[in-house]
Amino acid sequence: MTATAKSPAGEAAPVAALDRAASIGYRYGLLAVLAVMVVVFSLARPAFGTFGNALIVLQSVAIVAVVALGVTVSMAAGGFDLSAGANVGFVVMVTASAMVRFNLTGATAIVAGLLAGLLVAGVNVLLIVVAKVPDLVATLGTMFLFQGLALIITSGQSVSAGMTADGVTAPGRFTSGFVWLGAGTIASVPVPVIVMLVLAAAAYVFLGHTRWGRALYAIGGNPRASRLAGIRVDRYRALAYAVSGLCAAVGGILLSARLGRGDVGAGDPYLLQSVAAALIGFAVLGANRPNALGTLVGAVFVGVMISGLTMLNAPYYTQTFVQGALLVGSLVMSYTLTPGRRR
Amino acid sequence: MIQATEPVVSVSGVSKRYGATRALRDVSLELRAGEIFGLIGTNGAGKSTLINVLSGVTRPTSGGIRMRGRAVELSGPLDAQDAGVQTVHQNIDDGVVFGTTVAENLTLDSLARRGAGWFTTRARTREAARGVAEAARLSVPLDAPVETLPASARQQIVIARALSRSPRLLILDEPTSTLSATESGALLAAVRRMAVGGVAVLFVSHRLSEIQDLCDRVAVLRDGTIQQVFTTPVDGRSLVRAMLGDEIAAMAHRARPVDGAGPILTAEGIRTRPGAEPFDLRVSPGEVLGVTGLIGSGKTELLEQIYGERPLVSGALRLAGSPYRPRDPRAAIKAGVGFVAEERAAQATLPGWSVRAHVTLPRLRAHSRSGLLSRTAETASARRVIERFGVRGPGPDAGIEALSGGNQQKVVVGRWMEEEFRLMLLDEPFRGVDVGARADISRVLREISATTGVVVASSDPQEVLQVADRVLVLYEGTVTGELRTGEVTAERLAALMAGEGR
Repeated sequence: MTATAKSPAGEAAPVAALDRAASIGYRYGLLAVLAVMVVVFSLARPAFGTFGNALIVLQSVAIVAVVALGVTVSMAAGGFDLSAGANVGFVVMVTASAMVRFNLTGATAIVAGLLAGLLVAGVNVLLIVVAKVPDLVATLGTMFLFQGLALIITSGQSVSAGMTADGVTAPGRFTSGFVWLGAGTIASVPVPVIVMLVLAAAAYVFLGHTRWGRALYAIGGNPRASRLAGIRVDRYRALAYAVSGLCAAVGGILLSARLGRGDVGAGDPYLLQSVAAALIGFAVLGANRPNALGTLVGAVFVGVMISGLTMLNAPYYTQTFVQGALLVGSLVMSYTLTPGRRR
Repeated sequence: MIQATEPVVSVSGVSKRYGATRALRDVSLELRAGEIFGLIGTNGAGKSTLINVLSGVTRPTSGGIRMRGRAVELSGPLDAQDAGVQTVHQNIDDGVVFGTTVAENLTLDSLARRGAGWFTTRARTREAARGVAEAARLSVPLDAPVETLPASARQQIVIARALSRSPRLLILDEPTSTLSATESGALLAAVRRMAVGGVAVLFVSHRLSEIQDLCDRVAVLRDGTIQQVFTTPVDGRSLVRAMLGDEIAAMAHRARPVDGAGPILTAEGIRTRPGAEPFDLRVSPGEVLGVTGLIGSGKTELLEQIYGERPLVSGALRLAGSPYRPRDPRAAIKAGVGFVAEERAAQATLPGWSVRAHVTLPRLRAHSRSGLLSRTAETASARRVIERFGVRGPGPDAGIEALSGGNQQKVVVGRWMEEEFRLMLLDEPFRGVDVGARADISRVLREISATTGVVVASSDPQEVLQVADRVLVLYEGTVTGELRTGEVTAERLAALMAGEGR
């Protein structure tokens, strides 16, 4: 399949060419579709193809991408973090409460948010690694647990400046520094976009080029063989969920900053969107496994499509369907069209 | 009396080819009603193929089967069942449905049968199940969920269900391999009762003692042919000789003298499993230690204890003079012990991964600097393995699946050939490996044994003798003897493997 000299046999040549075309299509198909989409949308709506709009699209997918990078790491180790969305929502509530109800500083709120994310990860690790509950159901349990906990700590209400809780007006508000995380820019690039790019680069290096990332993929591929090759499987699985929890926490902090208030259920849509981004990423560059670059492309892909369709006046309620179609298409690409796949 | 009756099953001249390999050659057998017929043979001797032919899973290339004198064409498992053949496979849990009760499992057949009605009631199920249980003398609570029962009880359920179809021939494929001694005893008693009831039983096992106790006749299969059929009382030694063949001694090379340097591994009072007899072990540089014994004799248990994959049953280990007790494979690797597992696909290879990544997996730290993997270092290591073992394939970046079984094995063996490893443990390293790859692997193992301890375990003594200087023989968990390769004769080896001559 890789670079070979021209095939000597005359009749084998067309087959080889077809094979190569399929292989190229498989590797670059999704990127090509993305490029075509950008061009078409730009031609149809000149406002689409501007730098400013590019930043808007990126900002709209930044939080999804950050959460999805965490999901990618847990998937690499053969796990699945269904609690990512609930984690985002929990962190939104924790950071909002910290500033509004307890009048703490933005920095303290960030620390509290990260710790909250680690708490979710800790429960996941307890369930999966210690109690040996299967990943999918364990994180499903954690999802419910923390969706519920987010409601309990705020008595089921949204958290915003000037709210009354227990008959007392809340003393604090979102600090300007914290809000900057959601709305601020550095050199005209929105802060969430920068966070996304930095985390994507870090995840790319971590998963693809460090021995820890290699060990995670090994566990995802064959846990028994990994153990026999001297990899401490339990520790790495714990690490994967910790990373996933931290990424969700960062996503939650960014979301909280953007909203400027703690909305009940704010994190809920992020689970499916981030899982979709990670799964679409399987099909990027023929990786056929969870990978950081693919996840980033997957998130951007969804953003471009939705933003373009919105500019073309497609109604907002078609968005979910479009995402679903995209996901199904790329799943078929990575599971069915894999060159040389065996079954 | 038994001899007078017409055979229940007669297999005549059955052969089965898979491409160039002949799994069965001209096999003929006759089983009579009420007879327990043993079938024994090493891995790849053709036992599974013969079972598959009899149970309708595969069709023979030539030859025929007659049931009670009538020629039958078994073109599927259902045909075989209709003809009166019931097979209980080795993996018991394939035969029970988890999440349902004993009664439901006993009456599973009625679900697939037409005319069973749309609705099953608990009472009707119980009623039907009670009949099945009584016929098989099953003493398991009918309402118990299957998953709460021990393996032996699950197996009784599977057998009871097989008997409820009133078979003429019951095939039991290694039925005792997952049972304890007491459970096995109970099963064997049950098998005798079935035979008295007129069923012909084909009993496949690796345990000599069971075969000797139970069977009226025993056929030994080797290389797809029936070598010999023994009639009770069966002599264990002759049985093993028939299984292994005679060429053993001819294959062996001369044992090398062990140099005076201290041993790499010493073990005192270790056991293969709880209840087995303790023994001592010593692996020195300059020799390859072979471990052999029939399947289930405790070889894997022994190696995995030394590698930290399972806890040490008893005794103590010393590695290069210092106390050694690994709590997991990682600790063993850190101490300089490498391991090649028995089942390559399940325990060593990663689907879709390159040769390079397979080579470096146990030593990722050595191939990275501050955590970052060095592609150059990785490729260099992979190339070294490829060169040293003559791995034939598209190179270090090719997926492991692009290699033949033998070349894959070279990769998973070769990745341990680094100076830091002082002891290599190899479990069935030649299984599914072609002759050429076998020779390449043996050559390197003998080379490294000058400075490294090498232990090679295999249930095929020929494979062990090909590399080893000294051979430890296990029988049902216990060491029965030790031979230097020069002294090995087929006779002595057979005696030790049959648990005699201690």
